[in-house]
Amino acid sequence: MSPAIEVQDLDFSYADHPVLSKINLQILPSRLGVIMGRNGSGKSTFLRILCGILPYRSGRIRIMGRELHALDGRARARSLGYLGQMHRPVFPFRVHDVVLTGRAGYVRFLPDRGDRIAADGALEKVGIVHLKDRVYTELSGGEQQLVMIARALAQEPDILLLDEPTTHLDHVNQVVVLKLLKRLAHDGLAVVAVLHDPNMAFLFGTDFFFVHGGRIHRVEDDKPWNSPLLRRVFHERLRIVTHRDGALVIPDI
Amino acid sequence: MRRGFVPLLGCLLPPVVVLAALFVGRSSGGGPGDFIALLNGTLEAAREPLLRTIFFDVRLPRILLVFTVGGVLALCGGALQAVFRNPLVSPYVLGLSSGAAFGAALAMSLSLAPIPLFAFVSGLGAIALSYFMALRKRSVSVVSLILAGIIVNGIFTALLTVVQFLSDPFRLQSIVHWTMGNFQTASWEKLRAVLLPCGVGAAVLLLLRWRLNVLALGDDEARTVGIGPAREKTVILLFVSLASSAAVSVSGIIALYGLVIPHVVRMLIGVDHRRSLPLNLAFGGTFLVAIDTISRSLTDFEIPIGIFTMLIGAPFFIYLLKKSHIGWES
Repeated sequence: MSPAIEVQDLDFSYADHPVLSKINLQILPSRLGVIMGRNGSGKSTFLRILCGILPYRSGRIRIMGRELHALDGRARARSLGYLGQMHRPVFPFRVHDVVLTGRAGYVRFLPDRGDRIAADGALEKVGIVHLKDRVYTELSGGEQQLVMIARALAQEPDILLLDEPTTHLDHVNQVVVLKLLKRLAHDGLAVVAVLHDPNMAFLFGTDFFFVHGGRIHRVEDDKPWNSPLLRRVFHERLRIVTHRDGALVIPDI
Repeated sequence: MRRGFVPLLGCLLPPVVVLAALFVGRSSGGGPGDFIALLNGTLEAAREPLLRTIFFDVRLPRILLVFTVGGVLALCGGALQAVFRNPLVSPYVLGLSSGAAFGAALAMSLSLAPIPLFAFVSGLGAIALSYFMALRKRSVSVVSLILAGIIVNGIFTALLTVVQFLSDPFRLQSIVHWTMGNFQTASWEKLRAVLLPCGVGAAVLLLLRWRLNVLALGDDEARTVGIGPAREKTVILLFVSLASSAAVSVSGIIALYGLVIPHVVRMLIGVDHRRSLPLNLAFGGTFLVAIDTISRSLTDFEIPIGIFTMLIGAPFFIYLLKKSHIGWES
């Protein structure tokens, strides 16, 4: 299967401060890739480079076979959806208006019937049709996150990148969001999410990446909790508790 | 019901109010009966020229000019609030009012003509100055732009005071009168002069109105769906400046107007700029015509309209803030 994203020899630094070096990896369709790493390790930076917000100077990134540099904003938006960390809404927009803005890559001046149908389809996929006419700013954090995922799906992308989609959510909503991501990957999307909780990651993810020391390492092991990377990244004494065919990672205190 | 009702009101109210305003004034005569008689040619010959002048050379150009100015100020306020994701932005915050006032005062003090041209150029210059002060690395942040606007307002207010201080009392009076905002000298020429910049500016803003929804969600959120926020904001700011500078150049300072009307419209119909921006134009124009009609016919002397909008607008704005109807809590 040809990769959705292909990164070759990517280096990135802020001014004189190097963040990522010699990154080589592939993101595949129909997979839920999880990126883990400590705060400030460069996870968010990596996602922001992939979605074109941060420009990169050395290395190559190909999105669905096309060089990211060569894509203009609209073309990029049609193949790649991105969800940043916690969106702070200002205006009391209605949910369907928020989701409709995902269509900007297809719209010249005003969205038409086709765009409204695509937005409705995205709401349906996420399972929040009932929120359609609600005011976005009055929703709970979990509901807002689902709306923003629907907005990204309205872009009809091949790839969905999410930066800490579960960090501010309660336990139930974390499961709701991760189940949704798993379903989207199952339906063919290449999904990549930055997650902090290794247990949630191992429970839902299919591919695992650790960001550590400016490098991104892919875990090759079927049982990712056995990877020595886990201890190196989280840098703590960990207890691995096997449970059925999975495992729980618990700090040893 | 409400969602269909408000746009309908937006279509019906402007012609009704404009027509009603045509029949109101301090001069004896000039009611609807005289107007119909004038159109039918059944008016007695002695009164005909006078009434023709009152209707077509005094009231009509004034009403149309007031509508244009009110509509453009509200439209520009709504667009700026969306682009800068800030409820307190209006064209005046960017230095327009004090810049235009300074230009007009200078022209009056030195007997330079035409005054609106000076007000226009100097108002546009003030916005440009704010913009370039805030420009860093080819992008403009909201906070620095508003701060720059405050500084520019301060500079031009100081300069205005200097001009006032050096002017003789007679001219000082007309300068003060101008800064209070009024339409006493409205004419077809003034309407013709502002129609092009106001029309072009309003047309472009209306064309881009859905993109305001995208920009209002935030810079990153706009970028990820393929809209470059820096470029888009510059275009919108450019046409806002063009239209609002032209409007202010013929009206003087209409206080609080571009700030309050967009809030009222949002309360009526919600945020979606596809609906709210055209309504800003319709309601902004209509309300100002209504206010101007009151200000020119209520008392024997004309109350400057800027005073009126400030006295109505300020308590209303405080009410909005207290009721937190504005919906900007976070």
